[in-house]
Amino acid sequence: MTTHVPAAETAPETGSRKEPSYLDVTKGFWSWAGTLDHKRIGLMYLIGVTAAFLCGGILALLIRLHLWTPTGAIFESNAVYNQVFTLHGVFMVFIFIIPAIPASIANFVLPLMLGAPDVALPRLNLASFYLWLTGTIMAIYSIMSGAVDTGWTFYTPYSLQTQQAVVSMGLAIFTLGFSSIFTGLNFIVTIHKMRARGQTWFKLPLFCWAIYATSVLQVLATPVLGITVLLLAFEHLYHIGIFDPAHGGDPVLFQHFFWFYSHPAVYIMILPAMGVISEVVTVHSRKPLFGYKLLAFSSISIAVISFLVWGHHMFTSGESEFVMLAFSFLTMLVAIPTAIKEFSWVATIWGGSVALTAPMLYAIAFLIIFAIGGLTGVFLGTLSVDIHLHDTYFVVAHFHAVMMGSTALAFFAGVHHWWPKMFGRMYNETLAKISAVLILVGFNVTFLPQFAMGSQGMPRRYATYIPEWQIYHQWSTVGAVILGIGFALMLGYLIHSLFAGRKAAANEWGGVTLDWESPTPPNLYNFDDEPVVTGELYDYGQGAKH
Amino acid sequence: MIAFQDPLGQLPPQASTFAGDVDTLFYFLVWVSLASFGLILALLVYSAIAHRRKTPDQPALSNVTHNTTLEVVWTLIPTVVVMFAFAWGLKGNLDQQVAPADALQYRVEAFKWGWNFYHPGATTASEHLYVPVNKPVKFTMTSRDVLHSFFVPAMRAKRDVVPGVKQIVWFQPTVENRAELDAQGQPRTDEFGNLIGGFDLFCSEYCGDGHSVMHRKVYVVSQEEFDEKPWDLLPEDPVGRGEFYYKLNCVACHSVNGSRLVGPSFLGLVGREGRHTDGNAYTADEAYIRESIRKPMAKVVEGYAPVMPEFTEAQLSEEAVGDILEWLKTLK
Repeated sequence: MTTHVPAAETAPETGSRKEPSYLDVTKGFWSWAGTLDHKRIGLMYLIGVTAAFLCGGILALLIRLHLWTPTGAIFESNAVYNQVFTLHGVFMVFIFIIPAIPASIANFVLPLMLGAPDVALPRLNLASFYLWLTGTIMAIYSIMSGAVDTGWTFYTPYSLQTQQAVVSMGLAIFTLGFSSIFTGLNFIVTIHKMRARGQTWFKLPLFCWAIYATSVLQVLATPVLGITVLLLAFEHLYHIGIFDPAHGGDPVLFQHFFWFYSHPAVYIMILPAMGVISEVVTVHSRKPLFGYKLLAFSSISIAVISFLVWGHHMFTSGESEFVMLAFSFLTMLVAIPTAIKEFSWVATIWGGSVALTAPMLYAIAFLIIFAIGGLTGVFLGTLSVDIHLHDTYFVVAHFHAVMMGSTALAFFAGVHHWWPKMFGRMYNETLAKISAVLILVGFNVTFLPQFAMGSQGMPRRYATYIPEWQIYHQWSTVGAVILGIGFALMLGYLIHSLFAGRKAAANEWGGVTLDWESPTPPNLYNFDDEPVVTGELYDYGQGAKH
Repeated sequence: MIAFQDPLGQLPPQASTFAGDVDTLFYFLVWVSLASFGLILALLVYSAIAHRRKTPDQPALSNVTHNTTLEVVWTLIPTVVVMFAFAWGLKGNLDQQVAPADALQYRVEAFKWGWNFYHPGATTASEHLYVPVNKPVKFTMTSRDVLHSFFVPAMRAKRDVVPGVKQIVWFQPTVENRAELDAQGQPRTDEFGNLIGGFDLFCSEYCGDGHSVMHRKVYVVSQEEFDEKPWDLLPEDPVGRGEFYYKLNCVACHSVNGSRLVGPSFLGLVGREGRHTDGNAYTADEAYIRESIRKPMAKVVEGYAPVMPEFTEAQLSEEAVGDILEWLKTLK
């Protein structure tokens, strides 16, 4: 069935490379901990965010197991359940998914795609990693010192009244936010200043466009989150009366501030995922991307519109009809570039030379689940329907389709796609395909029942529920276990490949962007000779007119 | 007008005037989604099979990167669909937002963790809602503490309850739905203690430990039954009244069977001895219990979090506290 060039046979002799790879050039703890190499920093991020995903995933499994019975199966009290779902959200959103693709994959791949020796500001890059680490340690400290039970949204006034460690968690998120800003700033400068000779803006691979749009969002939106959590901390400590109605504040103002960041944050998560999918789809279909410019501009327009839709998180909070009209209309606008992207990817695969490799299977799983996530988003943007679905499991299933089923799957598609480039070794592809299928099936078994019970009115963040919904919850839990098996398998064969995987080819998948022109694994400064872009982008030998 | 059938059977019963419109729009979106999802899936699967790479150096069938007609079509169709959904949803939402002037007026107070429903003209709160069929009913809602949200799935009605602001929600029920009674005339419950009959009312904005137990019922009755004030359930005897006030205010956190919830169980509370978080011993006599209702933070029982809200005289009169004490004495 699926075939691609058997790598080991065509791989150049490793002895033939001019310089040692970035993995071999220096050894020892400090050669990593103090490194300025974007590839090593990317790998440290990769290990870090994967560990965070593992923690968040175990918490998710605990949540699903607890909901096996209507009165709650495992936690002794609702309070413990509330802490667990809060930690799941904080880990997955702030520590895993926001840095996942930009800080790990893009950190590694972006300079390669630009033909650059490193990012523009390597020290800032390392500082970003240590801020991330500090923020993560602070978040773990908050958990140890009194678990936070506010949900990852920290809605006031609950977050002001609860006894838990909201202040230290807020400062953790403040710190993580700066890590994100540093990464974004670095990539903006890098894309502007470090492109290879001949690489004009419209010869940039789409992944670079996506990362550019993401970086702009990171730099512009994250400060608002920083301000919001600082105000929350001040309100908590000194009762200054901004969000707390007991002191003349407005709790809905907090929601506005929070979502002014956190809605663009959804696009900080999904835009890089779209970039990864664009690259994976073209390479494994051996066909130029369909509608390159439209894909690039849709990334930018999604980034712009995403600043103007935050109010759809508050349709039931008592907004005026006019405000609801505006936010509903703008929310609908986001659906259009999103649909264009989905169609363009499908059109890229159509008529290609389609290799059903592991990265491609992950990408196809993304295309399926992203379609579900996008379509159900239209339900929630529609005012009268949203009033019914707001704050139910329909919303939970929708945003998991976008965050987990799309962004996380794209992250793993990217990991599988660039793994041979990163480590010079290949994982067991049969196991990888099995895990991709398990994850696609597991996702749908987990979340389709959640769409159904959400439509029936099951509210979210419930530690207990009425027995009518038990069957849906049980299916959902079964799905979560399948997902867990899929991810555990993935972790197993990826780690195994580092030690026993076969040697990867220099260009394992036959990619034609600059990242595949570097030696495998790349040199310390990436390329043997400075690359120059002359031909068309995504030209697989048959020409490509964009 | 196309009748959009229920393809997956997932919405709750339609019990209000605007439920039908919301559902039709929902099913319209379901069919549009299924059609476009089916199309995408079919194209993906066909392409993955028919255009799969059979030899390592097989080139793509085409290198087409553009088709202006196609791109315009797949931009325009989603645009038309989402704008249609937007306009329809906006119109439906206007109905949900604006209550008729002749609606019956209710007052609702949400708190951690329960609801006090004040029926038209009532001075005592009720645990559940009673509304007359085919009459618009409007709820003016306040919160004592944090955000809550009033959600009745069968009515397709939802509105956040925000402390410091009066929030309004309304609906006009179209289907009668009463409590199911057993042979003794008491409401029947399932094995988990949930009442059978009536429409479910939930809190849908996260509010802490008791979030999921703010589950109440909306009973829709005929005008004749409604005129008899079925919500007026305050018993004559003090012990019965005590239990009534307990169900209204305390049930989310204090059990009567000895099990541990957010707070200590009421079983055998009167005369119980224990320690406070500051290490001092206490005996739960009448004065202590009164203080624990009015000033719960003054003394907190060891092993429990200091989370109980104060109950003022406006929320629980002296007489009501006395009734609760009488009832507590019967729990042994």
